[in-house]
This record gives sequence, C-alpha cells and structure tokens, in this order.
Amino acid sequence: MSTILKVEDIHVAYGRIKIIPGLSFEVQEGQVLGVIGPNGAGKTTLMNALIGLVIPTQGKIIFDGVDITKMSPEKRCHLGLGRTYQIPRPFEGMTVFENVLVGASYGAGRTEAKARPYCLEAIKKVGLYEKKDVLAGQLTLLDRKRLEIARALGTNPKILLLDEVAAGLTEAEVQDVQDLVAELKTTGITIIWIEHVIKTMVESTDKLMCLSTGSLLKYGDPIETMNCAEVQEVYLGVDEE
Amino acid sequence: MKTLVGDKSNIIKFIILVIIIAALFLLPSWGNQYTVMFFMLVFMYIGLGQMWNLLAGYAGLVSLGQQIFIGIGGYSLAVLSNYYGVPLFLGLIIGGLIAMVISIGLSYLLLRMKGMYFAVATWITAEALIVIFAGWKFVGSGNGMFIYAVRGMPTSTIYYYSLIVAIITVIIVVFLLRSKLGLGLIAIRDNDSAAETSGVNIFKTKLYCMMISSFLTSIIGGLFYMSQVWVQPYAAFAINWTIAGMFIVVIGGIGTVAGPILGAIIYVFLNQYLAQFGGISMIILGIIAILVILFASKGILGTVQDKFGFEILSARRHSDRTFTGKPIEELDSSNL
Repeated sequence: MSTILKVEDIHVAYGRIKIIPGLSFEVQEGQVLGVIGPNGAGKTTLMNALIGLVIPTQGKIIFDGVDITKMSPEKRCHLGLGRTYQIPRPFEGMTVFENVLVGASYGAGRTEAKARPYCLEAIKKVGLYEKKDVLAGQLTLLDRKRLEIARALGTNPKILLLDEVAAGLTEAEVQDVQDLVAELKTTGITIIWIEHVIKTMVESTDKLMCLSTGSLLKYGDPIETMNCAEVQEVYLGVDEE
Repeated sequence: MKTLVGDKSNIIKFIILVIIIAALFLLPSWGNQYTVMFFMLVFMYIGLGQMWNLLAGYAGLVSLGQQIFIGIGGYSLAVLSNYYGVPLFLGLIIGGLIAMVISIGLSYLLLRMKGMYFAVATWITAEALIVIFAGWKFVGSGNGMFIYAVRGMPTSTIYYYSLIVAIITVIIVVFLLRSKLGLGLIAIRDNDSAAETSGVNIFKTKLYCMMISSFLTSIIGGLFYMSQVWVQPYAAFAINWTIAGMFIVVIGGIGTVAGPILGAIIYVFLNQYLAQFGGISMIILGIIAILVILFASKGILGTVQDKFGFEILSARRHSDRTFTGKPIEELDSSNL
C-alpha cells in the first residue's frame, strides 16, 4: 500500500488560540483510519485543515503527491477529497438527487448529463433511492447523514472524510452506517473517520489515532490504541491505578 | 414514460403562454395609452425583480445596490447617444457591457463580504455614485442629462423593447437555473461551505451571477430612462430601485421564477393606484410587504408552491429525466 496522505507537523490556530500545535501522521491508500479524542481535542479542526476550510500556519499536507496545504476547498475536492459534516449541511431547498448532483457534477468535474448516472449510483449505495426526489430539508437525521455521504461519494473521492456520522443515531442506525463504511471500503476508497462511538471505531477501522489537545497521543492498531493507558486516561477518564 | 416535452399539461401551459405573449405584443394596437404605459412599467419591473431575485433568491447575495446598474444604464445611454451619436439600441447594449465591467471590479471588492456586510457595502457604493455623478460636469452634475435621441420616439417602441427584455430576463433566469451554474448558485445559497467542499467555486459562480444581473439591470435602467427622457443622479442611483425589486420578489415569491412576474404586476398596480396618496403610498406598500412576510413568508407563489406543489417555470431537476425530456435510462452510456 502506498501513502495517499501525509500530514507533516501542521500547526492550526484560531487567532491566538492554538488548536493543533504540531501534528504528523500518514494514511495508506485503501485504509480506514479512525480518529478519536475528547471534546476539544482538535478532531474537527484537523478535518477542516485537511479539507481546506482552515489553513495551517505551519507544516505541510501532501495528498497523492501534491502539496495541498494552501489549496482552496473546491480544488481539493477536484483532486479527490470528499467530506461529510458533523452536523449535516444539506442544501435544504434541493432534492436528494439535486444535492448529490452538485457533488457529482462540480466535484467530479462532469457535465450534469454525465453526472446523473453516477449520482443515482451514489444515492443507491447509501440507501436513499426511494427518497431521491424528496427535499433534503424534509429528511430525518439518519437520512441527512446518508445524504452527506452520498454527496461526498458523488465527487468521486480518493479519500472520504467522515465527521461523526454516527453521532445522534440509534444503535441500529449506527450499525447501518458501519455496514455502509464496510461496503465503501471494499471499493478501495480511503476513509478517515472521526467518531466517538468506540465500538464502531474498533470494529470498522484499520488504524486508530487518538488526539489530545491537538497532539497525537497514539497511532496504531485499533485495539492496541484503545488499550493504551494514556488513551484510556485522557479519553475515557480511566485512571491507571 | 412521460417526458417534459410530451407531458400534456406542459403543452397546455405552452399554448397559454404563447397566447399571453401574442396578446401582449398586440396590445399597443388595441390598448389605450395608459394601458400601454402600465404594462411597459410592469415589464421593466419584471426584469428588475428577476435580476434582484437571481442575486438574493438564488445566489444568497442580498444586494441593496441594484440602482448602481440602473443608473449606469441610464447614464450610458444618455452619454453615448448625446455625445457620440450611438443608436439607442446599441447604447442599451453598450451600457449593459459597461455595467458588467463595473460589476467585475465591484465583485472583487464586495464578494469577500457576506450577508449584511455585502448588503450595506452595495448600498454605500450606490450612494457614492450619487455624489460622484452629482459633481461631474460631463454628465450634467446634479441636473442630470436629457436623452435627446428619445424625443419623438413612440411609447410603443419602448413598450416593445421592454416586453422583449422582460421575456429575455425570464428565459435567461430559467436557462441559468437549469444549467450547472444554477445548480452551483442554489447550493451556495443553501450552504456555502458545503458547496465549496463539494467542488463549487464560490467566487466564480457569484461573479457570473453578478455579471448577468448587472448587464440586464443596466438595460432595464436604460429603457426606463428612455421612457423618462431625462436622467439625473438622485433618482437614477436611488435606493427606491432596490426597494421596488425587493418588494416585487418578497410579494411574488423569493426563489421562484414566476414570483417576480406576479410581484411586478402587483407593485405597478399598487404604485399607480396609491400615487394619489403621495408619501403615504410607501408606508402602505411597506405594510403590505410586512403582512405578506408574516402570513406567507415565501411570497404568494412561493407559498402556493409549498402548499400545493404547483410551480410555474420550475428549475427543479427530476431524477428520472433530463431537461430535454429524455429519460435518464436512454442516455448514451458510451458517453459516461
């Protein structure tokens, strides 16, 4: 497996507040990398830095051999970075089909006519086919999260960034999402998945990374990461003694 | 499978549309002067409403500075025809192009701003133009300019120009919304960061929208001042133009193509009827707008559309067919 994403000592700050004070890691092609950490650990900020919504003040992000550190979000999307949002951000005035069409046409650089079949395929994949002409504003939370994934898939991503897609869902719904990620993995797509549901992270990821105050606490095999005393102390509040 | 072209109700809609347009083209031959003037204003305000709706209703750019382009259109026509002898029709087009160039410059400054900041910045720009034009001798300073070439021109000529421009604005908006650019515009309006991370270039998309809107708004400004024969800065760059556009869109239905058409008819009717009450007319118009916002927040046609799913000139994309009416299954897979 080759390295598809290389993060080299990135520093991210909002004004004077440093959220990520230096973070490095690599992601291999086709891998599912889980990212965990307590609230305020900088997980979503990392996601925003990867997608281009915030620009690191220092360090480099190399995606598929290209330095994307200062690249705009839409250019990163064209290169193959797709994302979902923790709180879904559907285009509410559009139908499910139109939402995904945005990603499938703009993101993947296709004409609308050429994007349509890919768009329907992405909608089918996430199980929203029956609701393809429903307005996004009328969807349930689970369906909105599915729509986020479909829209990102429409962009034909090499890496899919999932930001807490299981948050707020019932156990059965979480299982649905987990199954979907497992299915996506078979297509060879690389996934970086931020999540708080530990069981899901351990079951669905190849590597698990724990962040604490923007720094890397542990990176490795999911079970090994979860068994790490430092991770348990910081993340789960379990004292060694 | 039904297609858009083959759909019976669409054929009926098309026939009704053709009859209405034909009647409007024939109006000057049977209508009185007042009726012709009334509809001429309606057509101009349809264009103005469509362009404001394009910015605010589809691109999420709430502009308070549409009067910039009305004024540019009026003055371009006056300067080009008076000083350089340019024919009026060409003057309208060149005025549109000048407005478009100005909009490109303004976009680089103003599109960095969002929401209220964008709105206020556009307004300030228009106010600055009043000061500039009122002190500029070349354009007659505060007294403004007569457009000599318009003298003696029959009202019916300006009526036809206005009708054609109104039709063109509606057609452009419909085609724009059904294009990839329109898809990107609506995405930006609904959520700009999600649109950006889905591959939409926000600046470029908004810039194109500003360019189209400024071009057509300027032509409408030129037409209006053709009918007035005289253009002066305090009226040409007045906020009233934007207020009219907002009223038309709010009443008719923001984010709908047919809304500004209905809104323009209501606005011109009320404006003519309420003119006898002087300054109070604006208060009455304001109260009407507030009532519509309270009881039908999406405007008349927007509310009808929400409640009954009835939409005229829809830009909605259907998952099972293309805009050409061709079912999606029939698309040539070799092109994929």
